[in-house]
Amino acid sequence: MEFEFRRRDYGAENDSQLLPRSRAEKHPLSSTLVSRQQQAKTVRGSNLDFFDPLRGLDANASEEDKIEDNSLSIEAVTQDLIKEWKSLKRILMQRFPVSKLFFYFTQSAVEHPSAVSHLDEPGSEHTSLEETAKMISQQDYLAKVHELRDGITCAWQAEDRVTSLKLSIKVTKLLMDTTVLQFYPTVFVVVTDMLDMLGEMVWERIKEKAEHDVDGTMICALLMISASKQEKLAIIGFAKLVLYENFSLACKASVNNSFLTLLTLLLSYFWPLVSANSYLELAILPCWRFLINRPVEVLDRLVMMVRGLADPLASLYCRLYMVHRMQKLGFCNSGYLIKCIKDIEAVLAPVIVDKDGYSYITDDKKLLFSLMEPPIEYIVKCLLLSGRQENNVLGMLEELGFGRNKSHSSTNSSRVSILLHYLLKELPSELVSSKATEILHMIKYSNDCSFSQILNYRLLGNRLCEGRDHPGFLSSLINEVIQVASQYQTLYDYLRIMDAYVDLLLQNKMENHLDALLDDIATLARDKFLSEEEQASLQSIFLKLLSHFEDLQEVLPLNHFIEILDLMSGTSKISVNMHLLNMGTRNGCISDPTTVQLLFEVSQALYDATDFLNIKDDDNLQTAHLISHFVEMVDYGAEMERHLMFLAECREAFNGIHELKETLVRSSNTLAVKALKAGKKHTNFIKSCLAFSEVTIPSVSTPTKLLNLYLETAEVALLGGLISHSDGLVMSAVESLENIEATDGLKSIDGDSIASVVCKLCSLLVIVPGNPEKGVMEILKRIFSATCSSSWAMPRLKVKIFCAIISLSSTLSQEKLPYRSANPEIIGNDVLFFGDTSYKNELVSWTQLVVGELVDAIEQESSQIARGNIALEACNCISSALVMNEKVSQLCLRLLETAEGCLGAKDRYLESTKKSLQL
Amino acid sequence: MATTVNVKLSRSNRIYRSSEPVEGKIVIKSPTSISHGVIRLSVNGSVNLQVRGGSAGVIESFYGVIKPIQIVKKTIEIRTSGKIAPGTTEIPFSVNLREPRENIVEKFYETFHGTNINIQYLLTADIPRGYLHKPLSATMEFIIESGRVDLPERPIPPEMVIFYITQDTQRHPLLPEIKTGGFRVTGKIATQCSLQDPLSGELTVETSSVPITSIDIHLLRVESIIVGERIITETSLIQSTQIADGDVCRNMTLPIYVLLPRLLMCPSVFAGPFSVEFKVCITISFKSKLAKAQPKSDPTAPRLWMALERLPLELVRTKRDQFSC
Repeated sequence: MEFEFRRRDYGAENDSQLLPRSRAEKHPLSSTLVSRQQQAKTVRGSNLDFFDPLRGLDANASEEDKIEDNSLSIEAVTQDLIKEWKSLKRILMQRFPVSKLFFYFTQSAVEHPSAVSHLDEPGSEHTSLEETAKMISQQDYLAKVHELRDGITCAWQAEDRVTSLKLSIKVTKLLMDTTVLQFYPTVFVVVTDMLDMLGEMVWERIKEKAEHDVDGTMICALLMISASKQEKLAIIGFAKLVLYENFSLACKASVNNSFLTLLTLLLSYFWPLVSANSYLELAILPCWRFLINRPVEVLDRLVMMVRGLADPLASLYCRLYMVHRMQKLGFCNSGYLIKCIKDIEAVLAPVIVDKDGYSYITDDKKLLFSLMEPPIEYIVKCLLLSGRQENNVLGMLEELGFGRNKSHSSTNSSRVSILLHYLLKELPSELVSSKATEILHMIKYSNDCSFSQILNYRLLGNRLCEGRDHPGFLSSLINEVIQVASQYQTLYDYLRIMDAYVDLLLQNKMENHLDALLDDIATLARDKFLSEEEQASLQSIFLKLLSHFEDLQEVLPLNHFIEILDLMSGTSKISVNMHLLNMGTRNGCISDPTTVQLLFEVSQALYDATDFLNIKDDDNLQTAHLISHFVEMVDYGAEMERHLMFLAECREAFNGIHELKETLVRSSNTLAVKALKAGKKHTNFIKSCLAFSEVTIPSVSTPTKLLNLYLETAEVALLGGLISHSDGLVMSAVESLENIEATDGLKSIDGDSIASVVCKLCSLLVIVPGNPEKGVMEILKRIFSATCSSSWAMPRLKVKIFCAIISLSSTLSQEKLPYRSANPEIIGNDVLFFGDTSYKNELVSWTQLVVGELVDAIEQESSQIARGNIALEACNCISSALVMNEKVSQLCLRLLETAEGCLGAKDRYLESTKKSLQL
Repeated sequence: MATTVNVKLSRSNRIYRSSEPVEGKIVIKSPTSISHGVIRLSVNGSVNLQVRGGSAGVIESFYGVIKPIQIVKKTIEIRTSGKIAPGTTEIPFSVNLREPRENIVEKFYETFHGTNINIQYLLTADIPRGYLHKPLSATMEFIIESGRVDLPERPIPPEMVIFYITQDTQRHPLLPEIKTGGFRVTGKIATQCSLQDPLSGELTVETSSVPITSIDIHLLRVESIIVGERIITETSLIQSTQIADGDVCRNMTLPIYVLLPRLLMCPSVFAGPFSVEFKVCITISFKSKLAKAQPKSDPTAPRLWMALERLPLELVRTKRDQFSC
């Protein structure tokens, strides 16, 4: 019995299957403000520890943060500072790493860690120190320091506290040696760690002694005399300490009332040098808490004591340690910090200025200042933290000499620029905005070698940008900055300064200043070869400009914009160009010819700078994407011929970009459709568009894209009524389908997408009129054979394609096709072969052949579940295409059996298929 | 285990005033029981004078020790003869240093250990054990502080002197570059100071053409003894404290802060046969090649590269704080 196609009325089927539609109130993906706030509220209310990243900025939350900011608690500050200290130590170690080089050390202390005895005679120390200059590697040096440190811990634990103190003095002595500058921070970190440890041990011991009363009558007697308060208990602790150590006899020292005085005394007796003294006293600083109610006096004395250290580096680091220990005391007071900073200034002054009154920078000084940076930064940070905590930042600054009158500032307030830098860095941004003019003047007058003035100007700009509201005098301020900057003769310096101010100019819409800035740049840069640094600065400025403006049309009219752009080269130019392209294409169509020309040139420059053929990386991809996007966005409007010309130009200019070809074909197809809509007179233009596409498509390398483009173009040709073109395009598509293996044998082919393109081709074939000369089935047969013999087509895909072919055959046999070409001139196959029995017979016999292959293909599928599913699919397809006679039902039953064997009887797909077949 | 005897005082710091009884206990640790005679405790306070070196002549130093001056000497019976059980035995005691009617507090000089003069108070416990055994004994030093009632309150009003050190104030020769270049160091320092307080003051380097290497504060004691018709004076260094290391900033005030070692100092004394005084010496060392070549013997001796300023220092005893014992 023969197959027979099922007769179908597509119009009626469509009507009966259509689901009722109703209009929605709002778009499901749109989010309104109301819902967002609700979400925020619920999150807050339930107190969950969850932050929705998509949640909008909550006004309340930011206010809360502000309040917290203003009222810093001491604990928070101390916590912050402890963290800071840790990171500072890390920075010091990282920035000045231990090298393997050998150095001369004029210190004998590390040489004999066991020789404590000679410390007993204070006089003999000096001589022995100066004589020994030993060569020792830094690693060995550090190892010895660690050894000493272990010695201290051991001695302390072994109740031999005198030895441990002596050893600490020895270690502390190391900090006086600044002969090897680079090594100093490392020694500092190691030694201060040791001192912290010692301070901790002393503290713990005193606490223990104060809290636990272990001994007998002696202590009771003491208890009777001194009162009951906790503090006084602590003093008893000291007394006990003294008793336990029996110091008074051991070293003929004092039997004064406290361990602390004893300790300090011991220090001054054994090592009467100011550095060791101050460091150790700092280490035990927190212990003063036990003894006196107001540690401020001790602080004041220590601040002054450090002045005795003349070496600038050693004294600065000593101050750093002092500030660190203050936190341990839990004592934040800007007063002593201000004194400290003033002292630092005084110490630095002679270093900065030579005897002749000039300020030269030498390599030694450079190193010295780089070593000084971290401690200064830390101290200034502490100062501002405590200032904020006291709510007195302004008063603090005034005390430091900020914000004086102009008349004063010209003569008196030249500050050390390195200090100024870090102060400026840490100042709250509101204050920077309000005091900007004063700061600018201070920078102007502090031009010394400790820190680059240019960087200070820059920092001011950056800090001003951070502030939210800007003062009214901004315009005059920037005038002044421009003036100052143009005094630097080199472009690089100018750019470095102004780079920081560009954002300010843009945010405050100061066009005049912007023009002046660009004028200056153009004058300075003209006829010069720009160095890499200059390029980078220019790039930064340009990127700021580009990211500020919305539209390219606002950027281009800027003074000298193009001129300066032409001066750039290399990577910075590429970067700017990419931003330009991005900006030009993001705001919809580009129709202005000059803009198009500019962007074309930009693209060309980008293209020339990139090697598209050989290197494939993300940057290239981005460039390619940008250029394609640009070509896509160009729109000449009514001048379609010119647009096509442009496309041809692009093809020539960017022939290395594969992505672009697709865009070109799509654009030309769009043009053709546009011309079609415009009316009949454009037929020739449409043809040339199609010709352009036909020529361009073969160079596309990806098979799926190639096929898709052929099909798209064929559709356009059909729409235009150009049957010969569409026939040719469809044939080309089939040919390329046949050639897939030959060309892309090595590459992995995406079979799924090819299969879906083939399905698409089948659906297109419904409206393509058959060619009676070549035979109606010609194309179908070629697709079929290509599929059968292909290697990319898995059995699963073959089944999909065969089903599509069966459906197509069934559709073609109908008396009325479900859809037809929009062009009325194209006649469908239903009209063309109306009543032609041989046509129908051919379709039927052809279908029989395909069904046979289909069944075979199902058998070939290896995966059970897949086999079951495709069997059901094929069954559904056959039942919808063919009339259910005996042969067909047998076939279907066989397929169902296969499916049942693979999926099991309870599979829902199987059940519903059975139901629909009514078997 | 041998038998041990220790004298333990009631105060851990062992400081007593002459008006107070010295209290404590004799601790005897013995593995066996001991029979003993009368246990006595003697208090002995004396000023020991000795002449050696210094300005003393050959003959004086030959004679050496001069007869000590007795301050207090008394012996009391703690326990009549008897037996002590094995283990640890504690016998408490209390000794009055002066007789109730005696009112001469001045003679109880404060404890002091110097080079030529030693003022020392000792407690000795004696346990005789018949003829067959060696007697047991233990000695303990205790420290006497002035027990006067009219002591000044702390803090005593600061009596600061202002000092100038320049090339012209120096009485010894200086290096030519220091002399011509000139320098000027000013400051102030307390000349009267409580023993419990640190010696304080400040110092400023105003100018100096030659770089400074170090500024030190030295404490000196001056002990004088009358021997026959001569006064023999000995000056010795007690303690040095560095206050500046290197060429310090000009016009920056440095603190002078020196803690006084109690055992090596005492209130200034002017007694008939002897006197103990103190001095402060500020030394400024300048950078010089000579300084490195010369070994350092006496840091306060005048040198070519050093500027000196000696100032008298009067130490006084003030009333103790309530909490300190």
